[in-house]
Amino acid sequence: MHCGSVGKFTPKAVTDAMLIIENLTHVYPGGVKALDEVSLTVPRGMFGLLGPNGAGKSTLMRTIATLQAPTSGFIRFDDIDVLKNPEALRRTLGYLPQDFGVYPRVTAQDMLDHMAVLKGFAKAGERRELVEGLLQQVNLWQHRKKALAGFSGGMRQRFGIAQALIGAPSLIIVDEPTAGLDPEERQRFLNLLSEIGENMVVILSTHIVADVADLCPRMAIIAGGKIVREGAPQALMTSLDGRVWVKTVDKADVAQLSKRHEVISTRLFAGRTMVHVLADKDPGEGFAPIAGGLEDVYFSTLAAQAVAA
Amino acid sequence: MLLQVAGFEFRYQLRQPLFWIVSAILFALAMVITGVGSITIGSAGGVHRNSPDLVNQLHLVFSIFFMFAGTAFVAGSVLKDDETGFAPILRTTRLTKFDYLYGRFVGAFAVVCVCFLGVTIASLLGGMAFWLDPDLKGPFLPGAYVYGYLVMGLPNVFFTSAAFFTLSTVTRSMGWTFVGVIAFLVLYAITSIAVSQPDLAPIVARWEPFGSGAYDFVTRYWTVAERNSLDPPVIGVLLFNRIFVFLLGAGFLALAYPLSRLQAVGLKSNLAPRAPLPAEQPARPAILRPSAPPAHGAGAAQMMERTRFDMAHVFKSVAFWAILTLGMANAIAILWQITSDDRYGAAVWPVTRILIPALEGGFVIFPMIIAGYFAGDLVWRDRDRRMHEIIDATPAPDWTFVLPKIAAVTLVLWATLLASVAAAVGLQISKGYTDFEPWKYLVWYFVPHAVDFAALAILAVFFQVLSPNKFVGWGVLLVWFVGVLTLPRVGWEHGLLFYGSPFQSRMPLSDMNGLGSFWIGPWCLRLYDAGLGLLLVALSYGLWRRGTEIRYAPRFQRLPIRLRGPAGVMAGVGLVTALGAGAFVLVNTNVWNSYRTRANNEAFLADYERALAGYQAVPQPSVTAVRLTVNIDPHRRWLETKGVYVLENRTGHTLYEAHVRFARDLVVCALSVQDARVKTAIDPRFNYRIFTFDSPMLPGEKRTLSFTTEVAQRGFRNRDNLTSVVDNGTFVNSEEIAPVIGMSGDMLLRDHAARWRQGLKYDLHPPALNENPAARQTSYIGHVGWTTADITVTTDADQTPIAPGYKVSDVTQGGRRTAHFVTEGPILQFFSVQSARYLVKTQRYKGVDLSVYYDPHHPYNVERMQTALKASLDYYQANFSPYQFRQARVVEFPDYARFAQSFAGTFPWSEGLGFIADYRDPEKIDMVTYIAAHEFAHQWWAHQIVGADQQGATSLSETLAQYSALRVMRNLYGPDKIRKFLKFELDSYLRARGGAAVEEQPLYEVESDQGYVHYRKGSLVMYRLADEIGEDKVNAALRSLLAKYAFKGAPYPTSFDLIAALRAQAPADKQQLITDLFEMRTLYDVKTTATSSRRRPDGRYDVTLTVSAAKVYADGKGKELRTPMAEDLWVGLFDAKPGSGKFGPKDVIALEKRPIHTGVQTLSFVASRAPTWGGADPYNELIDRNSDDNLMAVK
Repeated sequence: MHCGSVGKFTPKAVTDAMLIIENLTHVYPGGVKALDEVSLTVPRGMFGLLGPNGAGKSTLMRTIATLQAPTSGFIRFDDIDVLKNPEALRRTLGYLPQDFGVYPRVTAQDMLDHMAVLKGFAKAGERRELVEGLLQQVNLWQHRKKALAGFSGGMRQRFGIAQALIGAPSLIIVDEPTAGLDPEERQRFLNLLSEIGENMVVILSTHIVADVADLCPRMAIIAGGKIVREGAPQALMTSLDGRVWVKTVDKADVAQLSKRHEVISTRLFAGRTMVHVLADKDPGEGFAPIAGGLEDVYFSTLAAQAVAA
Repeated sequence: MLLQVAGFEFRYQLRQPLFWIVSAILFALAMVITGVGSITIGSAGGVHRNSPDLVNQLHLVFSIFFMFAGTAFVAGSVLKDDETGFAPILRTTRLTKFDYLYGRFVGAFAVVCVCFLGVTIASLLGGMAFWLDPDLKGPFLPGAYVYGYLVMGLPNVFFTSAAFFTLSTVTRSMGWTFVGVIAFLVLYAITSIAVSQPDLAPIVARWEPFGSGAYDFVTRYWTVAERNSLDPPVIGVLLFNRIFVFLLGAGFLALAYPLSRLQAVGLKSNLAPRAPLPAEQPARPAILRPSAPPAHGAGAAQMMERTRFDMAHVFKSVAFWAILTLGMANAIAILWQITSDDRYGAAVWPVTRILIPALEGGFVIFPMIIAGYFAGDLVWRDRDRRMHEIIDATPAPDWTFVLPKIAAVTLVLWATLLASVAAAVGLQISKGYTDFEPWKYLVWYFVPHAVDFAALAILAVFFQVLSPNKFVGWGVLLVWFVGVLTLPRVGWEHGLLFYGSPFQSRMPLSDMNGLGSFWIGPWCLRLYDAGLGLLLVALSYGLWRRGTEIRYAPRFQRLPIRLRGPAGVMAGVGLVTALGAGAFVLVNTNVWNSYRTRANNEAFLADYERALAGYQAVPQPSVTAVRLTVNIDPHRRWLETKGVYVLENRTGHTLYEAHVRFARDLVVCALSVQDARVKTAIDPRFNYRIFTFDSPMLPGEKRTLSFTTEVAQRGFRNRDNLTSVVDNGTFVNSEEIAPVIGMSGDMLLRDHAARWRQGLKYDLHPPALNENPAARQTSYIGHVGWTTADITVTTDADQTPIAPGYKVSDVTQGGRRTAHFVTEGPILQFFSVQSARYLVKTQRYKGVDLSVYYDPHHPYNVERMQTALKASLDYYQANFSPYQFRQARVVEFPDYARFAQSFAGTFPWSEGLGFIADYRDPEKIDMVTYIAAHEFAHQWWAHQIVGADQQGATSLSETLAQYSALRVMRNLYGPDKIRKFLKFELDSYLRARGGAAVEEQPLYEVESDQGYVHYRKGSLVMYRLADEIGEDKVNAALRSLLAKYAFKGAPYPTSFDLIAALRAQAPADKQQLITDLFEMRTLYDVKTTATSSRRRPDGRYDVTLTVSAAKVYADGKGKELRTPMAEDLWVGLFDAKPGSGKFGPKDVIALEKRPIHTGVQTLSFVASRAPTWGGADPYNELIDRNSDDNLMAVK
């Protein structure tokens, strides 16, 4: 097996950092570099991994989840060398992939029971209790006899998190869980995540800034296979204090504006366009100061990355 | 718009891989079937590989199986929109439903037509293949391919495409459409079997939806010459059928418009009620803290759970039930058929022994399909359902992914095996048979196939693990299946090559002998398979895809790591087991026994012929006395013969050499000829020795030949295991245990195609018919003559030894039983020795002991056999001559061969023939009596007079035995049953001559392998002759023949003698008839074309029949020459159709002979009442090319 650069590993205090990723690189057969020397330290609690589509989020998630081996690099979770001993990680892992289907004609209860066996619960009585508890926790109790195939997107994601929770995992990976959910379902799902995310490492990978803003005490931004920003959302937002300016203009003027200013984002609002720009001092032209949100952090980081690339 | 839609669809489908894959498979299959000379479909031997007949048969067969591919195209053309989610967009355009539906159909059907063209092209190329023997190729007839494609293929393809297109628009599901296809195929198969009686053929010809009924019907009596050059004209029944099939398709297509539910699809998915949001749970725990699972010990539970989960998937799947239903339907149909109707319309008791091979032939292939299909389905299931990321991230160990797939497939297959056993037991119950033998089902059927299926499940899963997707996996498995089925045909026959194949490890079954020792070889092969299976399981585990990594390189790199530990041990154990078992098998098949294939058996016979055939003409001394001591050890399968022959020079010339010939595998331990020594230089593998006399043997001189031989087999062979010497049911004939003097041609390679393959590019014919006494020096039965015999047989104490002659002593001593048999009069030097544990039933009748030696399993027909022997004895003694023995013994032998044979006063009779016939329905033809009468008649026709080794010899034995048996049957059952039998004989004759590869001879020149002439045509000829000149005249002629030749040595009689004796009895006006019957290949075509019936004033009826008649003489290749006809034929009027179940003598209104000439004639009758049926030759006495149109309903 390809185990990467073991020698580079420098132990850190386990108390404050549980998942350590060092120099992780993954090159797909076509030559696409999906991960490029990614190093990341993920402490206990919710950790948001934010990035646009194609940034390498899912590759990183799958690699951590032992589903594929990287080209090089190193992953350690607590005492487990993940790449050398994937079986050990799987015993303490809960994984909700970005995209998963269901078997036809299988009910939620049966499927959870089946998953419980796969996670090592051999006794039927033990499993029944576990499955019933999980179904209640994720609010699928009244749908337990329904075929999974008939579930709505939100119900399916809640089922997904239920299966991830089986076996008291200490690492949970959720990959793009809120994509395609309506606001109500999304909120319900995030509530669920926040409840479980207190005593374990939960990595939430998403391209939706609000998911991270609402939940995660720490986060990283990934783009082009690289980690480009990392820190606490609050601290990152503070770094933009006094540097974000807003103006509402006609759509036709946006192009002109973006030539003269560092535009972070544009958003339609009541038929006109709200433009955020980044500037150390008042850019004039009627721009008003605005407190920087996480979204501004995200877009400014991506914009900077795009310029660098 | 419709055309644009069609055009788009056509171009779209041509770009899809499905089109190219299906076309390639179709093309390859058709190419193989046409281009491999040893594979036949429908067409008989002698038909060219590029003949119109083969082209048509190929198009018919493929149009049925093409149903699956065609359905995929046409159903896919409309269903793809729903699957891809494109439907709502499409249905909001201005495209009308009509244009949409029919445009798509036209486009897809055009693709179907192009795809099916592959069959035509493949058959064209296959038929011209350079490797084919030139003899198998005829002139290139381009029209035949056009005909095959347009007339045979396209209407069928149109019908199925239209029907299943409509079904797909109604069901909106590919799955249910294919269920429909399979259901249709099942119904079609069942119906085909149900209507397979010849009477129904004209109806089937009209309405059968693939036209094969019509094609078979119009060509049923075609000769090879016709099949090689002609397509049937598209008129009459064939035209009717083709139009019917087309209209059927068009009708279905028309239904698609009103029945289609496609328009509603978009709406449905939009309006589907959203799942209601769940209400808050009242007693919801704040936060769940599930306990961690135990670190180890869940493997067994995971294994069981995964197996259960996968099996549940199979059992819930429509495809499983569809295939199983098809298999069960096929199995039940075959079981029903083999127990309801043996070849002659007799029913048989459904004993377990005959049901098991039927299940193996008709059912076992379906579990194999299930194995292949679901191995792919299950291995790829998580990925197909996009569940693999979740499942693969669980801590379940790798082996709980691989083993459950194999276990699930295996257990599903075992369940299907049990279902087939249930079907067989159900059949036994339904037929009132209650002697259930669960042990036989278990040991003979379930356990062996259970092991084979486990091996197959492993292989199928292994292929899927190795393949990049399931379609490739299926393809690889298909290639493997095809290999298993075809490699043995091209000379690759070794059992070690066929891992897990149920076809290579069949065991011959016998109720008498059980499995004997025939189970050892197959089970050694299964041990070898088990070893390989373990290895494959370990490799499947090692290469299993887990996670999102599917590339080969990382998986192969990981393999050694995964194989550390138990998997490696398993692989090692498997490899060692396979090597050990394989080596043991090789020692058995290739060291202790010589490894032989069909091909090298043929080559041996060809070499034998090249080396020795020239010695046939060398004059040889005759064997005039035989003394044998036969020592049988049944448990060891060992038989030793010590013997002394008295040789006498009856040739009238001085002899210088004695040629001593032994069976190929007979071990010669000692051999000497008085005053002679062996001349060397004969290849020892021929087991043929030439002795040179030290002093030449003068006419009349006698010398002795002494020998010791052994029949034995060590271990097991790859094929052709020794079945003659077995634990219970030893049956050897004299040629298998003792030498034959002189070379004869009767065991040489005869099959036309095999001779060509071996470079013997001429057919083997017996010497031409010749009256010259010099050409009549040897008999046609292995050149043997009359001898006396003194035979001592020793066997185990619990067995009954049997040999020719009267038993003079029978002593049991020290666990061995010795019986001594001595003949009183001369017998043919061709006899049998048997030994088994028999029950014996003996009845003394008119001074003759009539005995049946039978196995306790089969008491059913013992009395019937004795009754038949009595009736035969009465008729033959009254009409021919006294019976030469005081005993007649029917002796059962195991079902390793199916025949009955006649030796001196002894009739070895297979347990597979007649012993289990079921006569609870008195309407069934009594084949047991017929066989007994036939074999008994051979005591006169072979064992009193035997023909010279010339063409026509068998007309003196087989034809006369047929005639004799027919007379016995007629006396017992009356002429009605005989008519049914004659019709059977007529159809058999006409069909067989159509397929004959070697020139058909007239009866008086018949060759010994032309059974369709000496049995089938012989019956018809003799029956008609007896009807025309009288039974008493025929019998008088036969008596004169006996008087002249019975028990006489050379010169032996020929068919000239038979014809001369008959001519002497026949009046002058029947001499031409004898010529037509015996010396020509005469065929008639009599048919009634119109009828009328009118009431007369006196209350009677004026009836007219319009009859047309023709008579031809055919040459040996089937070419016909018309000849004028003017004969008196039976003409009759009836109340019911002759030959139908209710027809009886009371239904005959008029039956008289009328002169019938070539052409059309009108016959008038005055009948006492109004007939419902009338016609010429109503009882089918003529050899009529179409015997179904002799009668017509009278209106």
